[in-house]
Amino acid sequence: MSLLTSLARLRAIDEGVAQPIATVRHCHLSARPMVFIPLKLSGEAAAPLAAMLGTDPAEPRLLAVAQPRNRDLRFAWTADLAGVLLPYVAGFTAETETVERRGADPYERALDAPQLIVPNRAGVAFTRLLGRSTRFRRTDGPFPVPEGVPLLGRWLTYFAERAAYPGSSLMLAATDELARHWASGQSALEDANLAALLAWITDGPDDAAEDPLIWPPAGPATDPGFDAEVLAPAMESGSAERIAEALRTQLEPTWRLVWRAVELLRGLEPGASVAQRWEHDRGSFSGMTAQLAEGAPPQARRDGAVAAAARLSRMERAQAAYEVQRAYDDPLVMAEYRLTGEAFAGEVVDTVPGNTEGEGRSRKLRPLVTVKTDDPVRIPPGTSLGTPERRGQGAELVSAGDGLVTLKITKGMGRGKTPAPGAVPEIGERVCYSSLTDEFQGAAALPEPEATPWTHGGPPRPYEPADEDAREEWS
Amino acid sequence: MNRLDALRGTTPPKPHDARAIAALAANPGCTRRALMDGAGIDKDAVARHLGFPAPFGQSPFAITRGNAFEALVKADGCAELIRMLRELLGLPIDEVAYHDVENVGAHLRHTHTRALIDRAARGEGVGTVYDHPLFTLGIAGHTAYLEPDVVAFQLGGRFHIVEIKSFAVVDGQADPAAVAAAARQAAVYVLALRTLLEELGHDPLRVADDVVLVCPENFANRPVATLVDVRRQLAVLRRQLSRMTSLDRLLDALPEDVTFDLAPDADGRPARPVAELADAVRRAEARYAPDCLSTCDLCFFCRDEARQEGASDLLGRAVRDELGGVASVREALALADGSRAPAQGQEEIARLLRGAERLRRECLA
Amino acid sequence: MSDRLDELERRIDELRAGVRRAMRARDGSAARALRAELRTAEKAWDSLVSGEKPAGKTQGPRLVTVREQVHQALELLGAPAQARLVVAVSGAFLAGTIRSSQLTSLRRDEERSFRSSPFGRPYYLCAALTDRLSPARGYLTVSTWPVERRVVGPLSPRVDFLTCAIRIAEHAAGRRSPDGDRLLSRMARNIPGAGDEVPPDPARVAEAARRELAVHAGRDAGDRAELAGRADTQLDDVARLFGATTLTTVPRSVMAMGGGR
Repeated sequence: MSLLTSLARLRAIDEGVAQPIATVRHCHLSARPMVFIPLKLSGEAAAPLAAMLGTDPAEPRLLAVAQPRNRDLRFAWTADLAGVLLPYVAGFTAETETVERRGADPYERALDAPQLIVPNRAGVAFTRLLGRSTRFRRTDGPFPVPEGVPLLGRWLTYFAERAAYPGSSLMLAATDELARHWASGQSALEDANLAALLAWITDGPDDAAEDPLIWPPAGPATDPGFDAEVLAPAMESGSAERIAEALRTQLEPTWRLVWRAVELLRGLEPGASVAQRWEHDRGSFSGMTAQLAEGAPPQARRDGAVAAAARLSRMERAQAAYEVQRAYDDPLVMAEYRLTGEAFAGEVVDTVPGNTEGEGRSRKLRPLVTVKTDDPVRIPPGTSLGTPERRGQGAELVSAGDGLVTLKITKGMGRGKTPAPGAVPEIGERVCYSSLTDEFQGAAALPEPEATPWTHGGPPRPYEPADEDAREEWS
Repeated sequence: MNRLDALRGTTPPKPHDARAIAALAANPGCTRRALMDGAGIDKDAVARHLGFPAPFGQSPFAITRGNAFEALVKADGCAELIRMLRELLGLPIDEVAYHDVENVGAHLRHTHTRALIDRAARGEGVGTVYDHPLFTLGIAGHTAYLEPDVVAFQLGGRFHIVEIKSFAVVDGQADPAAVAAAARQAAVYVLALRTLLEELGHDPLRVADDVVLVCPENFANRPVATLVDVRRQLAVLRRQLSRMTSLDRLLDALPEDVTFDLAPDADGRPARPVAELADAVRRAEARYAPDCLSTCDLCFFCRDEARQEGASDLLGRAVRDELGGVASVREALALADGSRAPAQGQEEIARLLRGAERLRRECLA
Repeated sequence: MSDRLDELERRIDELRAGVRRAMRARDGSAARALRAELRTAEKAWDSLVSGEKPAGKTQGPRLVTVREQVHQALELLGAPAQARLVVAVSGAFLAGTIRSSQLTSLRRDEERSFRSSPFGRPYYLCAALTDRLSPARGYLTVSTWPVERRVVGPLSPRVDFLTCAIRIAEHAAGRRSPDGDRLLSRMARNIPGAGDEVPPDPARVAEAARRELAVHAGRDAGDRAELAGRADTQLDDVARLFGATTLTTVPRSVMAMGGGR
């Protein structure tokens, strides 16, 4: 957490309402997101109890396991879930665009992609487990499951994996996104409670958010008091209606909260890079669709050593890119870097637009810009700089001191003898420069999976789903 | 009557269990907690009487599931456990002897445990797994009774604590918080057994600092065992217990007449005026942190107190550390908007806060 | 009718909230009273919504008593066994319908019956005896078995487990059933060399169990003979069947018991 956010939290306590820590929205919001609120049976790893889901706030769909102790009925529930989620996902595969790539075949990318929104991180974790517990199942053989269940498992696994990918919006946890845009006056731990966090953002803090009788937990864990006093007797009665109605009371409040969160986030303008990241998501979604169409096996239980390292490296680069993009999109995020001296903003006080370096054919246009700033600049001379105002340009810090910073523009000036109009900031213009740049180190050099060294377990055996996976007990 | 007993007054003591002892290490700097635990005070009852009942509860489904899983692991002379010990630790095939310590009357269980462990340590008789043993551990002058799930012996002449938990290990991974809690709890048992061996004149290090954690694997009921190293948890626990024996200093700082007595009436219901009790509790300084919300019965009371004081502790340790020790919300905000001059040593954090305030105003203008 | 349902639902919600509030305040008696009201309201709701009187759980005619079903299962197993295993065997091979909860009071009832008219029945379901000749927790035996079989030394739980596995394997070989296979493979998993085929190979399981049994049998037989000798000389008829009461006059409540869970 940065000092800027900490200050916002202090201010939130003082004013009794959450404070903005972003000026734009940093996630993509689908026009038709699928809100998904799962509940699980306490004490079990991944035994579903119910879910409320749908794309229309006015039409929540309740799926409840008719008798949570019955394993077959749990699978029947996952089949019902597949019946809702799979058509939703498939609805995005038809319309595509052709994307040309250098040095590779063009591919088809979906014009839009599905988006799952769960209340909190625990909802993501449960989605992952539900995916894990269903993707290896088979619809034939000794322990058959209903049609659609294994496919559902692969999609749930995919969504949960994307949720861990920095900057991806295919699956969002409402509390995480809210906390990325607003600072409440409570701890990060308490922010995981959706009702509490939303109360801070809207009406001000309210202890009722922690009272399970007023705001049931947002799942997947249920309130122990509810389990003891309501659910257990309902299960004992054997009445599916009673069980379903009991679970509805626990889901409906959260349903309203998640849509309220969506509405609040929609109220923010999207940041400039959001569309680009969503494009990446669309590409990834199409890749997954293609894999399924080609009959690829379910995602492995565990990555091999090389795949794990490659994934880690990809995630690290995505994280770095996400952080830079957010700073460039949002002055309030950039302010964090200004506070630590990695960026500065101020007014242009002097320019030398026609400054050149080199002689003859290698003579290049290198305009000089001097900026007056109140920020504590801690960037050594020679460091590459970027600026949100002119994203195509690159600059280099020449000197800094006494509130004045001189830099020269080194990239994006074209081949002309004089700068294009507007390419060099005018005197009096407000500008911001940062040593954070979009230039990322390339992918780590990793061996091919077949060449995994023995220290890392040797080449992985290709993953072949075993019979045992399909008939794994599910008790 | 000693000072600690006076703190508890006429309310009966609440014995510590392993989870409570493990939680002692969670917030070692909290004087309020150290005194209450030292005096064997029922913090849950205090919190309820103060009108801030603890937010903890366990679902009957989770309890049933936990009991069923433990019964499965221990069924038929611990058949499942013996298989796992053979696989995991190479337990020899002829080591299968099973003792159910609970076969003796409840009041004899501890004595019986001592006798069995003593015999095992001397190499007399047969003994491989000991079910339902009962240990004791002195906590600030009180005896805590501890019931580990199982103790296993004869793994290379060493004792192992076996901890059975019903959270799942899926593809070799389990909830890290659940594993950490199990490790803290198991460390208490390791310490108790080591203390027992020492009392009996045996080498305490014959108790392994690896504990055997048994959990259901994947989504089935099939148990799987893993060795968990609890050396770190043991070190933290020892340090905390040694602090607990030096409560005198904390007691000296407390006014003589302070007591946390609930003054129960004839029916055992607390009759102490709430305001009076709250006042007494406030005399012992707390160190509230959001982590308390998952470990301490008094958490809601202390959080309320922190709110009234406007303490930056409310926001968690990360924020507090970042504020460089500025403890009050108002003070930090005053430093940020320049309405308060920094005290000595606050110059740097004040400069940062002013910078942050300037930037926020600029960006949100 | 839907008005009435609405009203009931409102009432049920109120009562539920009331129960949970009482639970949180640890006010047991208020919670109990509210809960009773709640049950009534819920029953009324159930019958209204389904349009019929709530029917009790249908129970098929019980031709064989619980006691006889347990007896049959124990005779099949041929060794002291825990309730869990008795229930599983009964269900898998004897078309049994017993549930574990029905076994909890069984031993006490048997003891009462024996005390009122000793040896009045052809058999009694009774306790296994520990090395202190007290009843062993959780184990069931049959009075007609020799005392050697009914006492348990330290190795006996394992020996009895292997004995039961052999008996089950022999039985399963004759009549395969999914429940029987599941039970056998669960036992096989814990016996070295029993294989992990699905379904399990009964002959292989029995052979593996015999192999391990041979390791423990001698020592166990010695322990048991010694215990049986003591039981014969020290115990009266009741104690020989139901175990000697432990020499305790101190009630449990005096002990400050700290729960580990």
